[in-house]
Amino acid sequence: MEIFNDLIMGFHVAFSLQNLFFCFMGTLFGTLIGVLPGIGPTTGVAILIPITFGMNPTTAIITMAGVYYGAMFGGATTSILLNVPGESASVMTCLDGHQLAKNGRPGPALGMASMSSFIGGTFAVLLLTFLAPPLARFAVSFGPPEYFALTFMGLTLVTSLGGDSPLRGIISGILGLLVACIGIDAQSGVARFTFGIMYTLDGIGFIGVAVGLFALSEILENMEGPMEQMVSKTKLRIRTLFPNLEDWKNSWKTIIRGSLIGFFIGILPGAGATIASFMSYAAAKKFSKRAEKFGTGVIEGVAAPESANNAAAGGAMVSLLTLGIPGSGTTAVLLGALLIHGMRPGPLLFTSNPEFVWGLIASMYIGNVMLIIQNMPMIGLWVRMLKVPYKILMPLIITISAVGVFATDNNLADVWVMVTFGIIGYVMRKMKYPAAPMVLALVLGPMVEMSLRQSLTISHGNVAIFFTRPISAVLSIFAILSLFAPLFRILWNRYKARGKAAV
Amino acid sequence: MKKADLITGVVLLVLAGYVIYEAWLMPPSGTFGPGSGFFPFWLGIILTGLSLILIVGAVVRPKDPNDVSPFPTRQALFAVTKVLGGLVIFTVLMETIGFISNTFIFVTYLMKVVQRERWWVTLLIAVGTTACLYIVFQVLLGITLPRNMFGF
Repeated sequence: MEIFNDLIMGFHVAFSLQNLFFCFMGTLFGTLIGVLPGIGPTTGVAILIPITFGMNPTTAIITMAGVYYGAMFGGATTSILLNVPGESASVMTCLDGHQLAKNGRPGPALGMASMSSFIGGTFAVLLLTFLAPPLARFAVSFGPPEYFALTFMGLTLVTSLGGDSPLRGIISGILGLLVACIGIDAQSGVARFTFGIMYTLDGIGFIGVAVGLFALSEILENMEGPMEQMVSKTKLRIRTLFPNLEDWKNSWKTIIRGSLIGFFIGILPGAGATIASFMSYAAAKKFSKRAEKFGTGVIEGVAAPESANNAAAGGAMVSLLTLGIPGSGTTAVLLGALLIHGMRPGPLLFTSNPEFVWGLIASMYIGNVMLIIQNMPMIGLWVRMLKVPYKILMPLIITISAVGVFATDNNLADVWVMVTFGIIGYVMRKMKYPAAPMVLALVLGPMVEMSLRQSLTISHGNVAIFFTRPISAVLSIFAILSLFAPLFRILWNRYKARGKAAV
Repeated sequence: MKKADLITGVVLLVLAGYVIYEAWLMPPSGTFGPGSGFFPFWLGIILTGLSLILIVGAVVRPKDPNDVSPFPTRQALFAVTKVLGGLVIFTVLMETIGFISNTFIFVTYLMKVVQRERWWVTLLIAVGTTACLYIVFQVLLGITLPRNMFGF
C-alpha cells in the first residue's frame, strides 16, 4: 500500500525532535487560546505566522495546525465550567455542558468533551489520510475553468453559510477581492490601485491584514467595556473526569455520527467547525430517545458538538491541502501562511512536497494524542489559567502582534497595514460584517482572477466555458445555487407564512 | 442599524464608483483575452449593485423600535481611541527610540493610563512583556529588533 509507505515516511518527519517539540508547543498554545475567551483560533494562528516565519515550512505549519485543532479541544473547558464559549465552535457545548457542571457532574462533562474531541479528531485524520491522495490525483486534471469554479464556490459558500446576513458576507468578500487587486497585476505588469505608494506595488501584506482584521480588532472590541474577571471554584481531580459506562452507552453513537458530520462539513469549502457543531447537535437531538432532555444536561449534548468540531478541523485540512481552498477564516490564514513559506497547496503538493504533506498529517495523529494528555491530567491547570486577567493579556497580545508583523520583513509599512485593517475590522465587527470572507477572498483573489482570465482567454471571452466542462459545470451551478440559497429560504418562509394565513 | 446601513451603503457606492473609474482607465490587454482592468471593473459593478440593495433595503425597511444602534457609545469610543492612539505612537517611534524603551513605554501606557492599574503591577507587566518579547524575537528567533542611537 502506497499510502502506508507515505504515512510511515510522514511519521519519520514528524518524530524528529524539533517537530515533536513544536507540535507540543502548538497544541499547548492552541488549548490555551481555546480556554481563554477573547482570543480565537484565527487570532492565534495569525499571531504565530511572524513567529514561525524563520522555521522550515513543515515545522511552521505543524505548529500552526496544532493551534487550530488544539483550540477546538480547549474551547470546551470554559463552555462547561463558566457557560462562556472559549471560541465560536464551542457555543453548542455550553447548552448541556454547563447544565452538567451545575448538576454536580463537571468532571465527566469535561472528560467526555476531551475524549469525544480526541475520537473525532483522530477519526478525521484517518479519513484525511485515505481520502486526500485520491482526491489530489483527481484534481490534477483541473484546468483554469475548474479552478475558477472551485474558488468561486468556496467564496459563495463562505458567504452563504457564515453569519446571519448573506448580503454582508458577500460585500465583505468583494472588498477582500478588491484588496487582492492592489499591486502589480501579475499577468500584464500594470500597477493597480497603488495610490502612488511604493509599498503597495508589491500588494498588501497578508500578515498585516490577517493580524489586524482578527487580533487587533478583537482587542479593540474587548476594550470597549471592562472585562469581568471569571473565576471557577470547581475542584477537579483526574479520577472524577472519567465518564461512566452509562455515559458511554448514551454517547457512542453520537460520537460516531458527530465525527462523520464534522468531517464532511469540514471538507466543504466555506463551512467550518462552528456549523459542523451546530448540525451535529441538531442531529443528536433528532435521533435521541430523550430529545426532550437536551439542554438540561445530557452527556450526548457535549459529545455531539465536541466530536464534530474536531473532526471538522481535520476535514478542513483535506480541501486545504488537496485543492488549496480553505474552508474557514482560520484555514484561510493557514493558507496564507503556506504561501508565505513557498508551499502552493493544491493537487501537486502531494507529489512535489510529500515530506511536508505526510509530515503534517502524521503530526496530527501525534498532536491528538498530545492533546488528550494535556487536557485530561492538566485540566486543573487550565482552569487556573482563567484567573489570568485580560488586563495583563491585552498588552502582551497587542505588542506581540505589532512586533511580529514588523519583524517578518523589518518593514514598518506592514505595521501600518495592521493598524488600518484593525480599524476596518473593528468597524466591520460593529456593523456585523463577517471578517472571514474578506480574508478568504484576499488569499484566493489572485487565483480567482488568474483562473477567470485564463479561462476567458481560452474560450475567447465566452462565459459558457464554465458550464460546458462537466466538473466545472457542477461546481459552478452549485456555487450559484448556494449564492441564491438564502434568497430561496426567505421566499419559502414567506410562502409558508402566507399559506398559514390563508388557512 | 437603519442609519448605519444607509451610511455604509453610500460609502460603498462611492468606493465602487472609484474602482470602476480606475479600472476603466487601465490599459486594455495587449494580446487577447481580458486585460488588467477587467476583474476590478466587474467587482466594481457588483459592489454597486450590492450597495444599492443595502441602501434600498434600509430605506424600505419599516422602523423597528427594538433596533439597536451599532455605533459605540462615547465612552467605548474613547477607550478604543486611547488604545489605537497609543499603538499609532508606538509604531511611529519604533525605529527611533528602539524596541526596548518603546515597548516598555507603550505597555506602561496601556497598563497605567488605559487600564488604571497600580504602579507595581504596571511596572511588573511592562518589564515582563518587554523581556518576554525580546527573548522570543531577538534571542530565540534571531531577528534584529530596532535599536536607538544609544544601542539598545
